[in-house]
Amino acid sequence: MEDHSKEKQHIVSYKENFGTWLGLMLLTALTVAVSVANASLITLTVVTALVIATTKAILVAYYFMHLKFDHKLYRIMLLIITLLFSSFMLLTIVDYLSR
Amino acid sequence: MSESLSTDLNFFQVKKGIISWLFSLDHKRIGLMYLYAIISFFLVGVTLGLLMRLELIAPGETIMKAKTYNQTFTLHGVIMIFLFIIPSIPAIFGNFFLPIMLGTDDVALPKLNLLSWWLYVIGALFALSTLVFGDGPADTGWTFYAPYSVQTNTNVTMSVMAAFILGFSSILTGLNFIVTIHRLRAPGMGWFQMPLFAWSLYATSWIQLLATPIIGITLLMIVAERAFGVGLFDPAIGGDPILYQHLFWIYSHPAVYIMALPAMGIISEIIPTFAKRSIFGYKAIAYSSMAIAFVGYFVWGHHMFTSGMSGSARIIFSVLTFMVAIPTAIKVFNWVATMYKGSIDLQPPMLYAMAFIFQFMIGGLTGLVLAALAADIHLHDTYFVVGHFHYVMFGGTGFAMFGGMHYWFPKIWGRMYNIKIAKFAFALLVLGFNMLYFPMLILGLMGMPRRYYDYLPQFTDLNVLSTVGSWILAIGLITMLVNLINGMRKGAPAGRNPWGSISLEWQTKSPPPLENFDKQPELNEGGPYNYKN
Amino acid sequence: MAHFVLPNSGHNYDPESSKLGMWLFLFTEILLFGGLFIVYFVYRTINSDAFLRASYELNITMGTINTIILITSSMTVAMAITALQKGKEKFAINLLWITLLFAIAFLINKYFEWSIKIEHGIFPGMEHYNGLETGQKLYFFLYYFMTGLHALHIIVGAIFIGFVIKGIQEGNVTADRISLLENSGLYWHLVDLIWIYLFPLFYLIN
Repeated sequence: MEDHSKEKQHIVSYKENFGTWLGLMLLTALTVAVSVANASLITLTVVTALVIATTKAILVAYYFMHLKFDHKLYRIMLLIITLLFSSFMLLTIVDYLSR
Repeated sequence: MSESLSTDLNFFQVKKGIISWLFSLDHKRIGLMYLYAIISFFLVGVTLGLLMRLELIAPGETIMKAKTYNQTFTLHGVIMIFLFIIPSIPAIFGNFFLPIMLGTDDVALPKLNLLSWWLYVIGALFALSTLVFGDGPADTGWTFYAPYSVQTNTNVTMSVMAAFILGFSSILTGLNFIVTIHRLRAPGMGWFQMPLFAWSLYATSWIQLLATPIIGITLLMIVAERAFGVGLFDPAIGGDPILYQHLFWIYSHPAVYIMALPAMGIISEIIPTFAKRSIFGYKAIAYSSMAIAFVGYFVWGHHMFTSGMSGSARIIFSVLTFMVAIPTAIKVFNWVATMYKGSIDLQPPMLYAMAFIFQFMIGGLTGLVLAALAADIHLHDTYFVVGHFHYVMFGGTGFAMFGGMHYWFPKIWGRMYNIKIAKFAFALLVLGFNMLYFPMLILGLMGMPRRYYDYLPQFTDLNVLSTVGSWILAIGLITMLVNLINGMRKGAPAGRNPWGSISLEWQTKSPPPLENFDKQPELNEGGPYNYKN
Repeated sequence: MAHFVLPNSGHNYDPESSKLGMWLFLFTEILLFGGLFIVYFVYRTINSDAFLRASYELNITMGTINTIILITSSMTVAMAITALQKGKEKFAINLLWITLLFAIAFLINKYFEWSIKIEHGIFPGMEHYNGLETGQKLYFFLYYFMTGLHALHIIVGAIFIGFVIKGIQEGNVTADRISLLENSGLYWHLVDLIWIYLFPLFYLIN
C-alpha cells in the first residue's frame, strides 16, 4: 500500500449513496416481514435475519465506508478479522453444544 | 519536519524540564518514560514476590495471614502482568527503536502515542489506588474469576478498571506500530528488509489490537455485575461461570504472546550481532512470528481443562496447543543455527540471549506437559504451573528485556556500563532465577497446590531452597540496576556503534538527535543481517 | 550541521495513515461488541425459550424506526463526504446537521423505550424483573448492556460530527484535508453496522 495515497480519491456520487440507502431499506423491510410472518420457525428466522443483516453490513461497508474503492488491504484485513471473530464464536459454542 | 533542527544536540538536550518530558511527542522520550515507570513497577512487583517467598519459607503462617497473602499474589500478578510485562518491551524498546530501525523520525501517530502513555499512567494510578481506598486490594488472583470476583468485598472494581484502561493504552500502542510499519518504512525497505524486531512487534501489535477489546468488555461486565448484582455468570439465573473464563482467556492467552513475541524479536537482533553472522532463516523467523500470533488466538481453552469444559472442546484445544509449539521451535532452531560456526562474542547482551534460549526452552517444554490433557489434570492447580509460567515470562521475556537493556544501553545514553560487573550480575541472576523456580517444577510434580499461604511439612526443603534463590535473584537485580545507573551517569562514551552491528539504529549518533538521524540512513545491501564474514 | 528531510517522516500530513489507524480502531470496536455477541449467543443457546419469551417485551415498531433513522443518518454522512469532496462546504455542513438531528432522534426514541420498560419494573433489582424466569433476566441484562453501550457510541460519534462541522466552518477540514470527516464518517457507519446486528438479535427473534 505504498503509493496509492497519491491516487485520485474516488468520489462516490449522491446517486450511489441513495441507491445504497434504498437497498438497506428494502432489506430492513424484508427482515421485519420475515420475522413477523414466520413466528413459528425459530431457527429459520434467526438464520435469515443473520444473512440479511450480513448483507446489509456488506452494503454499508462497501459503499458508505468506501471499502469498494479503497486499497484491497482493507478488505483483506476486514475479512481476516471477521473470520477470527467467527472462530472465537465457534470454538466457544462448540464447548456448550458438546456438553 | 520542514523547519531545520540542529542535529548537534541529542534528544536529551533539546528541551529541558519535566513538562517537556511529560508532554513530549518524541517517541524516544515517551519510550524512556515508560522505561522508568515500568522498572519502578517491576521493583514493586519483585518486592511483593519476595514477601510471598518469605511467607513460604516455612509451613504455617510466617509473616502474613491467608487473606493478606491472597491480596499480595493478586497485586503481584496485576502489577507484573498489566503494568510490567505486557507493556515492557513494546512500550519501551518498541517506542524507542522501531522508528529508528525503520529509518524514520517518529511513529506515524505521535499524539496518539502520548495518549497511550497517559492512559498507562492513569491505569497505573487506578491499580495503586486499590492499596489505599476501600477494603484493600483485590484477593481474586489476577484472573478475576467470576463468581468470586463479583462477591468479594475487596476493591475489585478499581483493579478491573485499571486493567481496562491499561488495555486501551496497549491497544493504542499496537495500533500506532501497525500504522508506522505500514506507512513509514525507509524508501527501499520492503517487508522482508525489515529488522526482525519490527516483525515481532508487528505480530504483537495485531494481538494487542484484536485480543484486548475482548477482555475490555469482559471486565466491564464484571463492573456492571458488581453494580447491579444481576449474576451474569451465575448458574442460578441461567448463566455460566465458565463463560467468563472463556472470555478472559480469549484475551489472556494471546496476551502471553504479547509478552513473548517482542522478547523473541530482541533475541533475533542480539544473536546475529554477537555471532557476526547473517541470521539463519530470516523469512522463517518472520513468518513464525505471524504464525504464533495467529495460532495463539485459538488455544485459550488449555487454561480451562479442569474447569468443566466439554470433553470434545478440551481435545480440540489440546491439539491446537501442541501446534503452537511448532513455530516457536522453528525460532529456537534458527537462533541456534545462527550461532553455529559464528565468531561468538560473549558480551552481556549475548549472555542474556543465551540464557533466554535455555530458560525459554524449559518454559516451553513444561508448557507441552501441561498441554497434554491427562497430565494437566494432575498438574493444573500445582506449583508446576507457577514454575512453567515464570520460566516463560521471567526466564524468557524478563531476561530478553534485560538483554535488550544491555544491548541498546549505549545507543540510548551514549555511554557504556561496566562490562565485568554486568557479567557478574548476569551470573547471579541466572543462578538465583533457576534456584527460585526450578524447585517449583518439582514441588508441582509432588503435588503442592498453588495459591496458598501454607503447605504440608514434606515440601519444606524445596521451598527453603526456592526462597534462598529469590534472595540471590534480588541481589543480582540490584547489582544489574546499580551498574546500569552508574554507566548512565559516568560510563565511558560509547560511540555510534560499539557492537559492530549493521542495523539502522547504529548508524546515528548515540544518543540520537531529536529527529533520530544526522544523515540519511543507508540500508544495508542484502538485508539487515548481511554480515560479510 | 546537516539539513535534510526524511521522505518518510512521521510528522507529515498523511491521510492514509489516519485512515488505516481509524480502521484498526474500528476492528477493536468490532471485537469489543464481539465479546458481547459471544455472551449473547452462548446464553441464547442454553436458554433459547426464555430468550424468545423475553423478546416479546420489545416493541418491533420502535426498533424498526430506530433502524430507519440510523440507516438514513449513515447516508447523510456519506453524502456529506461526497459534498465536501466536490467543494460544497455549505451543503456538507447541512447534511451533517441533519445527521446530528437523527442521532438525537435515535437517542430520544431509545430513552422512551427504556423508560417504558423501567416503568413496567423490568430493570435489574426491580420487582417485576426479580420475578422473571432465569434466562429472561440474562436477556434483559444483555439488552440494557448492549444497547446502552451502543447508545454511548452514538453520543461519541455525534460529538465527533460536531467537531467536523466546526472544522469545516473554520476551514480546517476541506476537500484536501478531509481526514477528520472521513474518519468520523467511518466511526458513524460502524455504529450503524453494530445496530444492524443488534436489531434482529433482540427485536426480531420471535
